[in-house]
Amino acid sequence: MSNDWKSYQPLLIPAIRDLHEISVYEKNDGYQALKSILSDRKKWSPENVIEEVKDANIRGRGGAGFNAGLKWSFMPEPDGKPRYLACNGDESEPGTFKDRKIFEYNPHLFIEGAIIAAYAMQVDAIYVYIRGEYRPWVHKLQQAIDQAYEKNYLGKNIQGSDFSVEMYTHMGAGAYICGEESSLMESLEGKRGYPRVKPPFPAQRGLWGRPTTINNIETLANVPMVIKNGASWFKTIGPDTHPGPVLYGISGHVNRPGVYEYPAGMNIMTLINEVTGGIRNGKKLKALIPGGSSTPPLRADMLDGVTMDADSLREVGSMMGTAGMVVLDEDTDMVDLIWRISVFYHHESCGQCTPCREGTGWLEKTLHKINSGDGEIRDLDLLLAICNRMEGRTICALADAAAWPVRYSIDRFRDEFEKKCKKTVYAVA
Amino acid sequence: MPEIFIDNIRYEYETPGKVLQFMLDNGLDLPFFCYHPSLSIPANCRQCMVKAGMPIFNRDKGTYEIDEEGNRKIRYFPKLMTACSLDLADGMVIHTHHSDELVKQAQADNLEFILINHPLDCPICDQAGECPLQILTYKYGPEGSRFEHKKVHKPKAVQLGPRVILDAERCINCTRCVRFTDEISKTHQLTIVSRGDKNYPMTADGEEFDDPYSLNTVDICPVGALTSADFRFKARVWEMNQTPGIDMSNGKGCNTWLWTRDNLILRITPRFNESVNDHWMPDEARLSYSRFNENRISRPQIRLDRDEQVPTSWNNAELTFREELDKVSPSQILVLGSPHASVEDNYSFRKFFEEKGVNEFFYLPHIIPGSGDDLLLSDDQAPNTNGVNALGFRETDEAGLKKLIKSKKTSIIAILDDDILERTGLTAKEFSGSFTVVLGTNHNETSLSANLVIPITCAAEHAASYVNVDGRIQRTIPAKETLYTNRRLNLEMSMSRLDHYGTKFDNWVTDANRVDCIPAWEFFTRLGDEQTTPAYHSSREIMEEIAGRISRFKEVSYDRMDDENGIQLELKQNTEVNTV
Amino acid sequence: MSDTYTFDTKDLKEIENIIAKYPEKQAAVLPVLWYAQDKFGHTDSSVQKLVAETMDIPEAHIHGVVTFYTQFYEKPMGKHVLDVCTCLSCQVCGGYDMLHYMEEKLGIKAGETTPDGQFSIQSVECLGACGYAPMLQVTNDKYVNHLTREKVDKLIEDLKAGKKPEFESMKMPQHVNGSDK
Repeated sequence: MSNDWKSYQPLLIPAIRDLHEISVYEKNDGYQALKSILSDRKKWSPENVIEEVKDANIRGRGGAGFNAGLKWSFMPEPDGKPRYLACNGDESEPGTFKDRKIFEYNPHLFIEGAIIAAYAMQVDAIYVYIRGEYRPWVHKLQQAIDQAYEKNYLGKNIQGSDFSVEMYTHMGAGAYICGEESSLMESLEGKRGYPRVKPPFPAQRGLWGRPTTINNIETLANVPMVIKNGASWFKTIGPDTHPGPVLYGISGHVNRPGVYEYPAGMNIMTLINEVTGGIRNGKKLKALIPGGSSTPPLRADMLDGVTMDADSLREVGSMMGTAGMVVLDEDTDMVDLIWRISVFYHHESCGQCTPCREGTGWLEKTLHKINSGDGEIRDLDLLLAICNRMEGRTICALADAAAWPVRYSIDRFRDEFEKKCKKTVYAVA
Repeated sequence: MPEIFIDNIRYEYETPGKVLQFMLDNGLDLPFFCYHPSLSIPANCRQCMVKAGMPIFNRDKGTYEIDEEGNRKIRYFPKLMTACSLDLADGMVIHTHHSDELVKQAQADNLEFILINHPLDCPICDQAGECPLQILTYKYGPEGSRFEHKKVHKPKAVQLGPRVILDAERCINCTRCVRFTDEISKTHQLTIVSRGDKNYPMTADGEEFDDPYSLNTVDICPVGALTSADFRFKARVWEMNQTPGIDMSNGKGCNTWLWTRDNLILRITPRFNESVNDHWMPDEARLSYSRFNENRISRPQIRLDRDEQVPTSWNNAELTFREELDKVSPSQILVLGSPHASVEDNYSFRKFFEEKGVNEFFYLPHIIPGSGDDLLLSDDQAPNTNGVNALGFRETDEAGLKKLIKSKKTSIIAILDDDILERTGLTAKEFSGSFTVVLGTNHNETSLSANLVIPITCAAEHAASYVNVDGRIQRTIPAKETLYTNRRLNLEMSMSRLDHYGTKFDNWVTDANRVDCIPAWEFFTRLGDEQTTPAYHSSREIMEEIAGRISRFKEVSYDRMDDENGIQLELKQNTEVNTV
Repeated sequence: MSDTYTFDTKDLKEIENIIAKYPEKQAAVLPVLWYAQDKFGHTDSSVQKLVAETMDIPEAHIHGVVTFYTQFYEKPMGKHVLDVCTCLSCQVCGGYDMLHYMEEKLGIKAGETTPDGQFSIQSVECLGACGYAPMLQVTNDKYVNHLTREKVDKLIEDLKAGKKPEFESMKMPQHVNGSDK
């Protein structure tokens, strides 16, 4: 793709003034996808919508990268009782700040996508769960929802059809874990955000015991264009295995941090050196956290030719996550950084299950010991041992998310960790 | 029948269920903390992890795929699974610590995690000796800990409510207590507060944990985080002995364990019985143990002048009773059975007076409307109302009793263990015209007003049967010695280590806790006419006689009660005492 | 003071509207707590009790929820709560410098409130403004991005003068560089 990105015109958040106003959005082909579905119900039966979205292979933008249409198809046949769509706008993974851009600049695209999803899965109500810190953006989205109600894109008998759906915003109150889908449901039900044991999966027993699907905000924002232009068009954007536009949230030591929209599969070095104007103060790149704090950090020398898509990142031993890239320059103290990440996970562990509740604290305390110069080499082995004992032993993936950065940074930046440890082996003169 | 392979041994199962419960039902061992068969399954302790897999089924061939050695190919779940939340499935393969090193390692790892923030204060912890964490750590835990940091500090010795004390540092966040108040007692008084390793169970600010079932959380707490305000620091569990009993404090007849040390009951805990009380018991019932220890009538008492009762010999008591009986005609004797006394006592009581020619027998139900709930508290305050009713005693009340005393020109009132004066509006004056004989366990208003008091054994000292509000007959086993019984000779009685190896010269053993009393039936055997009354040697014989003579007790025997955890009797539907 | 928290008829109506959004009233616990915190400034035990009674939900449940979520204030806080992000991007871009500068300026440590009850400072986890680090949030509301010492000085002056920060729209760099149609 080399220089294609320079001519790329954003699809999720195009540069159109006041696009958050419904009139502007409508003028720019907004709600056309929904209208075309409602006007040709034969072509666009719920099954066909799911098929099209499945075919487009929109990989979940919340971090897991699971095909959204496939997820929709897990919903059981309607039985006349309520079903729900929960939209995940919790966006609490450190390094991630993209969904709020959609709420701010193009909320109707997301709303339209959610309505189409609701239609395809035949749900009765959409709950948009947004982290409590995003209060100003909750108001922005709520305004957009109110406009959509006024124009009858939401509510009863949408655009004169027999399709009805309600949409509500629900504000969290400060808990990273509520971005985990089952914990999000608990929180929506007004409880402490403890992840649920799976099975049963949300499509079987979700909100209030009813079938529920949870999708990320950005994921849903991709839906209208898939309906409008077709899955085959969508798949021409970005790599075959990870198609579509992606919001890259780039932060850290770059000259122009911010959210950028480009196709998936952007060359990482292009993003760092050209898109964001390179490392600030002329420093050298040291490391990259490619998709939020839980994705394993990569050393600068590992990034050659690596692109921002699931496959390419897996090959070098990391993950796409939320595409929240944290760029770190040569002065970054990796031990200090990893310690701070472990503070985060310790703070955010819900405390429900043992390995995570105890492990996150143990990691933090041990990293603190090393970071403050009291560590010993054996502490590094202990850290790895704790990681081994946390991964895959808990109800949700927070323990894994807490362990990966520690495990991989010890692996990839071991000399830095060792340097901070006390010398326990003395060189023989 | 569907099958499951656990550690390479094949089991069959009939009903769907969870792997852990199936293993427990089959006597297999697997460590766990948060799971409780009567509560929901949060799978949060992560202790019961197993390796699980399913055979690969080839749909085209319609058979399982087979490997070179002729065994089924198994596809294992990528992660270890918690057995408590894993559904049984036909053909499923489970490996526990017995056949898989990873599982063994995972169990030790998890215990290491649990223990990093758990205070190692077993020597001063009340739970020690009956602590699942302690026991499982011995069996499955790591050799030591690699944790070298400060533990998280949390509130200690918090009076959570009148009966329960919390040590939040010991808590391992299994949430059993919270689930109990949410799902069983439904008072919703507890919650987990805070997050991560700062979690612990708490009530809302300023609220008391005064749930009438609060002490059950102490039982199910797998560590010493919740302890009983009443029992803590009283005794080490390994010094005590444990005898199955029946609750005497209300009509539900909860199955209990009576915990004794040196012939004192120190606590009562529930004993599982699916058809009566499941794993639970009201706090009130637990705290009723003091009646077995304190204020007991020891030695017969006789009133010489108007005001004072003095101890007397058994001989003198028997003689006095006989003399008084000889003075009056049967119609002048008022016989009051008791819903608080056992079937055997009531039966022998009635039989004795029947032989004397008395033909009417009464009792006063002890019911406080509205004091029950729909869990385990009944309006009926007595353990044997249905039993005394089934033996043919007629129900009466305060007014009825007054009328009886008047109309009969009563000269003797014989009362079997029941504090009638205390719980009715009757006063000692009503009895003052008659010679009152009370056979009782504890000093109370009624016994103190009596002319003659015969001390009898309580439910903790004898083997006897009681019929609960639902018509279930259950029996007790003696837990305490009287002056005339001996645990070394009575093979039914249990022995603790102290009972075994202690001697009367040890400073923790004293004879003072043995009460001078005998079972009521034994007293009547002594009094009875040897020609007409067969001498009973045990309450077991009495029950045999009852079973043979009274149709409602047909086929009831101690052996059956023991084997079946009590027997459901066919009681008449119109027995108005059946109020729960 | 503690028992003087009440909801008036308008509040009750509003709470009813919130509850109507959900099939089960318990789901409204978070929004109603938010509503109460907006009104009373915190959700301490007496507010928890009020919410529990108003919604007819066990008080312990409300207590558990309040203590789980960090944005609910379990005790009264300063008039302005400055939540300084020190996580990841903010950490490497000087979040701690800003925090320490503020601590010094206000004479309190993170987690404390100034004696006059005007300011509380907290060191918080990622607020989702990583590209605009270092940054802070003022009393669960507006974000102040790209913090500098000067910006902090001005913010504190403004807040003292009763002037709250405006919503700052952080443009996408692509839009700024490209043509704005």
